[in-house]
Amino acid sequence: MAESVCRSLRDGALEGELAPTLTIKDSLASPFGFNVFSHILVQLSSQIVAGKSQSQGMVIVALSRSPSSYIDLLKMNGVDVESSKKWIHILDCYTDPLGWKDKTRKSGDITDPSNQILSSYKTVKDVNRLFSVICDLGRGLVGGSKSRFCVAIDSLSELLRHSSVQSVASLLSNLRSHEQISCIFGLLHSDLHEERAVAAVEYTSSMVASVDPFHHSVDGQGSNLGNSSRQNLTKGKFNVRSKRRNGRVRVTCEEFRVEPSGISFAPVSSVDGAAVAVAGLIPKVQFNLQLSEKERVDRSRVVLPFEHQGTGKPIQIYDGRRSLEDSNNEATPISGGKKEDSGRGEIIYYRDSDDEMPDSDEDPDDDLDI
Amino acid sequence: MATTRTRVSSFAPNLSSVKSSQHLGLKNGPNGATFISSGISDLDKILGGGFTLGSLVMIMEDAEAPHHMLLLRNFMSQGLLHRQPLLYSSPSKDPRGFLGTLPSPGSSKDDISREPSHEKDLRIAWQYKKYFSVPQLNINTNNGGQHDYCNDLDLRKPLERHFITSNNVDCVSIQNSQNLDVLKDRCAEFLAQFSRNEGGSSSAGRIAIQSFCSPQCKYSDMEWHMLSFIRSLKGMARSSNVVVVVTFPPSLLSPSCSKRLQHMADTLLSVRAIPDEDKELAKLLTGYQDMVGLLNVHKVARLNTQVPVILEATTFSIKLQKRKYLVFECLNQAPVDGSGGSSYGNYDGCSRSTKAVSLDF
Repeated sequence: MAESVCRSLRDGALEGELAPTLTIKDSLASPFGFNVFSHILVQLSSQIVAGKSQSQGMVIVALSRSPSSYIDLLKMNGVDVESSKKWIHILDCYTDPLGWKDKTRKSGDITDPSNQILSSYKTVKDVNRLFSVICDLGRGLVGGSKSRFCVAIDSLSELLRHSSVQSVASLLSNLRSHEQISCIFGLLHSDLHEERAVAAVEYTSSMVASVDPFHHSVDGQGSNLGNSSRQNLTKGKFNVRSKRRNGRVRVTCEEFRVEPSGISFAPVSSVDGAAVAVAGLIPKVQFNLQLSEKERVDRSRVVLPFEHQGTGKPIQIYDGRRSLEDSNNEATPISGGKKEDSGRGEIIYYRDSDDEMPDSDEDPDDDLDI
Repeated sequence: MATTRTRVSSFAPNLSSVKSSQHLGLKNGPNGATFISSGISDLDKILGGGFTLGSLVMIMEDAEAPHHMLLLRNFMSQGLLHRQPLLYSSPSKDPRGFLGTLPSPGSSKDDISREPSHEKDLRIAWQYKKYFSVPQLNINTNNGGQHDYCNDLDLRKPLERHFITSNNVDCVSIQNSQNLDVLKDRCAEFLAQFSRNEGGSSSAGRIAIQSFCSPQCKYSDMEWHMLSFIRSLKGMARSSNVVVVVTFPPSLLSPSCSKRLQHMADTLLSVRAIPDEDKELAKLLTGYQDMVGLLNVHKVARLNTQVPVILEATTFSIKLQKRKYLVFECLNQAPVDGSGGSSYGNYDGCSRSTKAVSLDF
């Protein structure tokens, strides 16, 4: 549930525990990850401003969108960015992530001193420095050692593009174990990376929310204009797997709908897809004492031997061969079922294999013309 | 297949021989093997005595659950209680911190009780295995002896400080090391103390390596390096009186590397998470409410013999009894076709049963 995800991020980390980390996973089939990300960002920001959350500040690491877009997003949703008490800081890794402008332009500082909440960061490849910068910024926001801040990473995919899986995983785990960080959330485009990279990020996070299409398209292209793909344009499924403290995994599923004003979540309406199968976990039971429908029908159709078939005819014991009726229609009486003329003293030849055609005693080479 | 083997059999393995263990915590077993306790009495029973000295135990983690930590905690704590030196390595910055979470033996007044469910009048037929009285060969008769070998560890009570601060414990952090050579050297040093060549049984030691290929380690993409490390560790351990326990998350490795690691293990276990509040699972299993996860036993170490171990059941439920004690129980599965999964072979949970089962259709 999106509500419970926001709530766990708001509640943050307990003393001595790792900070809750959310990874929002999307793919090309349902590319609404950023909508979910901004929804959570707005929710958490308004709670920070209202003082209802454990974190008192937020650091946004902006890699795939410009910082001004975040400011606009927050302003549009009624969150006060310019308040007197500084609570947000956006680390601009979008404008110049690899430090090219420094190499081309010889002039000095480009930073805008009037902008209090932005600071630019070069060389995204240096993940260790990124970690220390995030921590310093956060400490600058919230001050002393008891207060906490939260971290939003716009795109873990961008980070994975610039540096290795190991460094991103170590960044996340260092952030999680930092005693001043309350919660972390980040966006990941799962089809841009190898499975192992995605698995590594999932391993380090405590909640994985995946944005899935409503119906999985059959050919994977998504180019058909049927009803299903039209639904995919605005709706989808929001599946969350969260690791609970007792070691169990809470799996929830919701539907979401993207609207111009934002994104809305609703419980699953119809039982469209198959129910989640848990049977992979427990060993398959060797016997089944219940009959399926087909089995019931088949059972009623079984003709029991020796049952009186009741039409007055002599009882034919069905032994798998063709019945007497069919054999009487044959031209040659060679193949057939049991005959009841055993008293006549003839030698009656019963073929062993009934599926040979009669007259197959002929030499099969006869039709060769050599 | 229809015969129900009763557990009371004169051919049951005789585990009650606690003879000639000069050192606390060692038990002699068949084929010249010596066992040390895993810290969990149920696991010792399942494995036929405990972990064999000289073997490599690998535990496959589930990315979604921390159950491997429970197993590690019990293992490490049991070793410290028996004064067996311990080497612990983990990918965190400060492995010593983990030692503070090791469990301590529970107070004797709350012994683990294993009574079947208290519904005396309603006995559910397919849960018949619960109602056999398991002849616990050396638990009831030799209670003191059993406690010497394996303590009931209370996960809520931390181990006393003097066990941890003694120089029995050594910790290594592998977070910042570029490769595994540092860890290999430390292990070699540790294992040299317990070499078997000197004749006679010296004390035993334990090595615990947690989350071996965790993604934040810098060597985690060097698969052949990791494989050769494990191989050399196994070789070194074979000739010493040490049990090495390594946990690793198989989902983070390539399938071939994960398979190779699994084949290298002498004893292979895996832990899995279960979904929370799942109605399907609650219908299929009894005791679902208390379960926190599942344990699968894939391989049991058999050194010095070619006879494999064939277990009656390979899947067990992990429960925390009274929220303190870790127990493993056989699954009580409803005879409803939980189909969709692949069959695990003939040695499943409680799937072998007589035909005379009453069900309501």
